[in-house]
Amino acid sequence: MWTDLTRTPRTLLVCERSSFLDEKSRLREQVEQLHFNYKVSVLLPECDSAPSHLEAAFKSFSSFYLIKKLPLFELLDKNFLEAAVYQGNVYGLSYRTRIDEDNCVALMPNGQLCLSLDKDSFEMLGLEGKPSRFNHRAASRYVVSLDLTDSRMAPGGRGYQRVLTGLTSRVQLQMDILLSHHPGGGAALQSLLSRYSWTELTPEVSKRRLTQLPCPTLLTSDLQSCDPHSFLEWLGAVDADVSCENSSSSFLSSLVCPEPMTTASHVLSISICGLLVPQDVHRLIQELRCYLEPPCKAPWVALTVHGFSDSPVTWGSREHGALRGGEHFYTLLLFPDHTYRLHLATGAHDNCPP
Amino acid sequence: MSVFMDLSLILTEDRSGLRLLVDTAAHLGFSTVAINYVFEPPAKKKQEIPSPKPIHELIDQLPIVQGRSWPIRVLNRLTVVMSDSTHFAACMTYDVDIICVPVTEKLPFFFKRAPVNGAVDRGVVFEVSYSAAIRDTTMRRYTIANAISLMESCKGKNLIMSSAAEKHLELRGPYDITNLGLLFGLSEEDAKEAISSTCRSVLLHADTRKTASGIVYTMKTRQQGALPPPDCEAPAAKRPKPHLTA
Repeated sequence: MWTDLTRTPRTLLVCERSSFLDEKSRLREQVEQLHFNYKVSVLLPECDSAPSHLEAAFKSFSSFYLIKKLPLFELLDKNFLEAAVYQGNVYGLSYRTRIDEDNCVALMPNGQLCLSLDKDSFEMLGLEGKPSRFNHRAASRYVVSLDLTDSRMAPGGRGYQRVLTGLTSRVQLQMDILLSHHPGGGAALQSLLSRYSWTELTPEVSKRRLTQLPCPTLLTSDLQSCDPHSFLEWLGAVDADVSCENSSSSFLSSLVCPEPMTTASHVLSISICGLLVPQDVHRLIQELRCYLEPPCKAPWVALTVHGFSDSPVTWGSREHGALRGGEHFYTLLLFPDHTYRLHLATGAHDNCPP
Repeated sequence: MSVFMDLSLILTEDRSGLRLLVDTAAHLGFSTVAINYVFEPPAKKKQEIPSPKPIHELIDQLPIVQGRSWPIRVLNRLTVVMSDSTHFAACMTYDVDIICVPVTEKLPFFFKRAPVNGAVDRGVVFEVSYSAAIRDTTMRRYTIANAISLMESCKGKNLIMSSAAEKHLELRGPYDITNLGLLFGLSEEDAKEAISSTCRSVLLHADTRKTASGIVYTMKTRQQGALPPPDCEAPAAKRPKPHLTA
């Protein structure tokens, strides 16, 4: 019965190599399908300070709103649906709810409302749903997906009434919600903001300058100079400010920079945190492409985008869960010749990324 | 999965110690805890079973669970130490919710499949406590040995892990307890269930023992308004009877 303690929960890593100039490049779809992004980290080697167009790009991420104690039936409010949901591009995610413990909600830009509910809430709510794909022995988590743009969910319709009755009289689900409307901003969300307590938040930008940092030598995207697992481990160590020296007197970390390596004299690490929409991420990628054009001497640029670990959905509307950690992220490695390497990674309770 | 629960915080005389214990549990991410009143009936004389004190007398304001916006839920639990019973009788006949596996000594018997399966069928769970393992190295060996011996019979089903902590430093976070479950031979998902879904089953099982299999229960309501007047038009049988509510 002794389990192998060296085995860790399974993870999936998908690596792709392509070019921005290639017509078949799927990067745009892959970026846009991860709706709820929590953190964007950029690593600029051989860079002392970012040029002004990049600074402007970092600061131009859209602001978002936190509405406290919003009853969920308000997401079906007629004015909200007409002003925001039917126009598209509304992102909504429940805040301070854990995907493996509590009820979570996600409103996607295509008008799909996804409710990830525990057994009691699902049984009391009485809506059609499926058991979660990541249930273990007994089903204890259920997923209800509603298409708010469907004709059956139009206000006054039977489907709409059923959901409304469930959320108003059977289970009065209420949670803090993060909402973002791109590119409309707060105007389209007025019907909700005017009636509940809300705060407008802007994504937090933080910068770190590192000197004499050992970096792996990544020649171009064609040559396999560095194994993706060890590169991602090194990148994560730099982002988390973990030393890669592996000195014999320290027992804290035995992570090392993968060979072959060079020492970069200046490295700039920027991170942006908040409810970040994919359109802003795509714009940042285009700005980083402009940055890499000559006369820039940087050999490569790394951009990592993390999804919310407690989001009920991952790429597209695939279900997301958390066993140990609900990680789902992608790292884009950009080179000066318009080529890139994309690594998409998920954890144990996720299916394969696109 | 359900919320994380720790169903055994040992009650001590020190009120501020208890308050610190509940605060630490909320900070670590537990949404529900149970204060454990341990009662060992003495051999000769009859002693009264302790009755639980209402939680608002022990703690003024319940702390908010870390990362959420609602306070921790505190329940009460009674543990009776039986000195003169067999393992078989406890599993098959006793009307209990939890059977605690002792960690203070190496168990003299092995868990047999039959009574363990009988207990599992009835909805009774087995509990392993880990705070003794934190206090003492010998206890650590006994805890792991007894837990592995239990695991061989019950195969990871109907098992809960709790702290039995007397001091706040003996509490550990839910994901750390999941790791401890791996040492006992549980799989990742089983270990996580041991502190969430199985604990929820225990609470529901306890509810069914109070009620008619959890389907019907009565509760008193406080009637604010006046009784209907005696010359009301409705026939006597149809007038509402305010003192009964199904």
